[in-house]
Amino acid sequence: MNTGPAAGPEPAGGTAPTGGSAPAVGAVPVDDRPPPAGPAANLIAAAVVVVLGVTAITGSLAFGAGSPSQPGPGTWPLIIGVVLVVLGLALATQARQPGQAERFTRGSLLVVAAVSSMVAYVACIATIGFEIPTFLLAFVWLKFLGKESWRLSILTSLGIVVAFYALFVGALDVTIPHLF
Amino acid sequence: MTVLVGFLPTPQGEAAFDAAITEAQRRAEPLLLVNSPRGGAPISAEAADERTIADLTERARRAGVQLHLHTSAHTGELADHLLRTAEEVTASVIVIGLRKRSPVGKLFLGSTAQRILLDADRPVLAVKPHTGTPGATLS
Amino acid sequence: MSEVIDGFAVVLEPTNLLYCLVGVVIGMLIGVLPGLGPAATIAILLPLTFGLEPVTAIIMLAGIFYGAQYGGTITSVLLRLPGEASSVVTVFDGHALARQGRAGTALGIAAIGSFVGGTLAIVALTFVAPLVAEFALDFGPPEYTALALLGILLVSTISSGGRLRALTAAAIGLLLATVGRDDFTSAERFTLGNLSLADGLDFVPIAMGLFGLGEILYNLEERHRTVHAPATVANVWPSRTDLKQSGGAIGRGSVLGFFLGILPGGGAVLASLAAYALEKRRSKHPERFGNGAIEGVAAPETANNAAATSSFIPLLSLGIPANATMAVIFGALLIQGVTPGPQLITENPELFWGVVNSMYLGNILLLIMSIPLVGLFVRILRIRATVLAPITVLITLVGAYTVNNSVFDIGLVIAFGVLGYLMKKAGFDPGPMVLAFVLGSLLETSLRRSLLLFDGDPTGFVTRPISGVLLAVLIAVILLPAAQLLRRRTQAAPPATAAASLTGATQEPGPAPAAEAEAAATTPATTTTADRTIRREEPHP
Repeated sequence: MNTGPAAGPEPAGGTAPTGGSAPAVGAVPVDDRPPPAGPAANLIAAAVVVVLGVTAITGSLAFGAGSPSQPGPGTWPLIIGVVLVVLGLALATQARQPGQAERFTRGSLLVVAAVSSMVAYVACIATIGFEIPTFLLAFVWLKFLGKESWRLSILTSLGIVVAFYALFVGALDVTIPHLF
Repeated sequence: MTVLVGFLPTPQGEAAFDAAITEAQRRAEPLLLVNSPRGGAPISAEAADERTIADLTERARRAGVQLHLHTSAHTGELADHLLRTAEEVTASVIVIGLRKRSPVGKLFLGSTAQRILLDADRPVLAVKPHTGTPGATLS
Repeated sequence: MSEVIDGFAVVLEPTNLLYCLVGVVIGMLIGVLPGLGPAATIAILLPLTFGLEPVTAIIMLAGIFYGAQYGGTITSVLLRLPGEASSVVTVFDGHALARQGRAGTALGIAAIGSFVGGTLAIVALTFVAPLVAEFALDFGPPEYTALALLGILLVSTISSGGRLRALTAAAIGLLLATVGRDDFTSAERFTLGNLSLADGLDFVPIAMGLFGLGEILYNLEERHRTVHAPATVANVWPSRTDLKQSGGAIGRGSVLGFFLGILPGGGAVLASLAAYALEKRRSKHPERFGNGAIEGVAAPETANNAAATSSFIPLLSLGIPANATMAVIFGALLIQGVTPGPQLITENPELFWGVVNSMYLGNILLLIMSIPLVGLFVRILRIRATVLAPITVLITLVGAYTVNNSVFDIGLVIAFGVLGYLMKKAGFDPGPMVLAFVLGSLLETSLRRSLLLFDGDPTGFVTRPISGVLLAVLIAVILLPAAQLLRRRTQAAPPATAAASLTGATQEPGPAPAAEAEAAATTPATTTTADRTIRREEPHP
């Protein structure tokens, strides 16, 4: 039976006081997932599923549901819609159980920032070529999302642009809008 | 009140640890060893391995110093992490090891030691490796 | 037989050799690095395949898949951190061996086992696949309906997040597949009057967004993970005793892996668990397992490579992807204008045999490279995720552009990336969704044709022998969790020793992988989020 490290203090986030009873500092759980979401989040997810199912059903009825012997364009979406509604209701009944859903944390703001940066990237790339937006996106991700140092952020971002240029414009000769 | 030492598995870190042991003995305080690698990768050269930790623990025991370990990873700057930890445990002194840097090097390379020295609100003890140590300068 | 030989000629073309090497190296890399898994990587590299010949593209993608199985071993052994879900079990004995200073032995036996398992599986595939394809030529719409349904269902069973959520994701995928013009009647469905939607949703942005970008966004949220000191590997090769001891395990692992890999939804993860459990049960000294038993490394590593190879069989001979990674490769084939199905062998023999034979080469390359490169990989593991993330994102975004020279496509990828992120947050695995999307039109077409065939009488499915059998399997799979639930309530003792021992304490990466190992070994229906903690490719394997 595996019992983990045999000897020595746990090198992972634990503290090992050698004698004495002073409180350990900074014991961080080894793998710290965001806390599980409450039943509200599960219910919302279930509701979305049900709504999707209902949309599918109404849409398919509009196309013409057909019949078992004469399947029409709406037959299959109708089946899927019904299945979705059933699954959504089943999910709703399970909403109280601690599921696999995670709560949004402060880290989720990073995701929002990341997506915004990508949207901005898409907005610029057609007009000013890919070099500058690539540099900026890389820099933002490194410096602000990743909290890396100035030196690393700037140098790495430059390196990425150069590498991309060499690869996409140079070697692969892809038709990507570029300034230089 | 506790002595806090920022440890890296380098000659500078060893020097800091020795100095910290002496300091802890002198002040009759426990010693908190912070070896906090930068998080985000499974491996970091800053993390001390088990054998080193065990060795340090043994040395502390022989010196009669109560040792605590703080080895979890941090995000962001190590200097900030050390200073925050010092605040949390109300450290009486922060012990760090100094790297040799050329004056030009200090311009471009962020120096953790420099940040700590400038921003700390408590005494800082900065030591260099003992002369005669085949001192490896870190890249 | 001559086609098999011709296949080798295809493999030995310089371009194909190069891309085989590229694929295998990339595969090993992503197997080692936490973050992306094979499915995500293949999705991100889809735009790259546009400019390649079909054979070359699939050779590379296949290399990524089975290469990743080996890469995952490295971190399992050295850091007790499984790189892939299929390497979770290797942690138990592999890391124990590393602690005894025998990391090189563990890695060496894993490499040898992987090579043997993979090669034996390819040989078996060479014989089995054509047989299956020939058998499947008689398949009609009812058989395809049942097969597609079975595939989706089995993949949902193994998915993280639980069956219900996986089935929901699959259903949504099926719904997405209906968008566009109906094949039968040319009626426009769910297009909202938009012209670009009239042709249906494009697979590439969906795959790139859901798997690639979604995974990256999900990983951005901070998760505290242990950081280890750099590990050195004293290159001690397995001794003759080690080899003799593992011989049986390797042999059994190959066979077990081969068969479990063919099952849709089965695959490398299940194979590694089963092989480990089997060895432990067979052993005269089961207490050695978990403490550095060499068979405990040899068996799962052999099995996962064998399974990774045999999971190509349903795709290449039936046209049914067995797991989410295969679904992406299915999409890649469609992009190239190749329709996978039983006719693939006969109509595109160079493609089929080119890909199959490339796997021999890939396995040899892996065996040669894996040990020397360990030191390099350990250094690569120092690269922080904060640095890898922008690189991967930019490759994805730029790649998305190159598909159609359209900025709109990048936006689409971002949109699906956000969807993938939200899904994972809510506990839904995007894998079944992509699989179902890819199978969607096949499933619907087969169903409608079947209904026309039976004139609306659904019992026709049962009366035809093959589809009847498939449906029986389908129902068995649906009822299995209920049966096991009943069995567990009536049984006092916990299930077999293998499962119990698999719950052995692993303090890191946390109980989740061990629990998942136990769960998957006993109840395929229950799942935990092992892929959360190890964050490899989300669909197993």
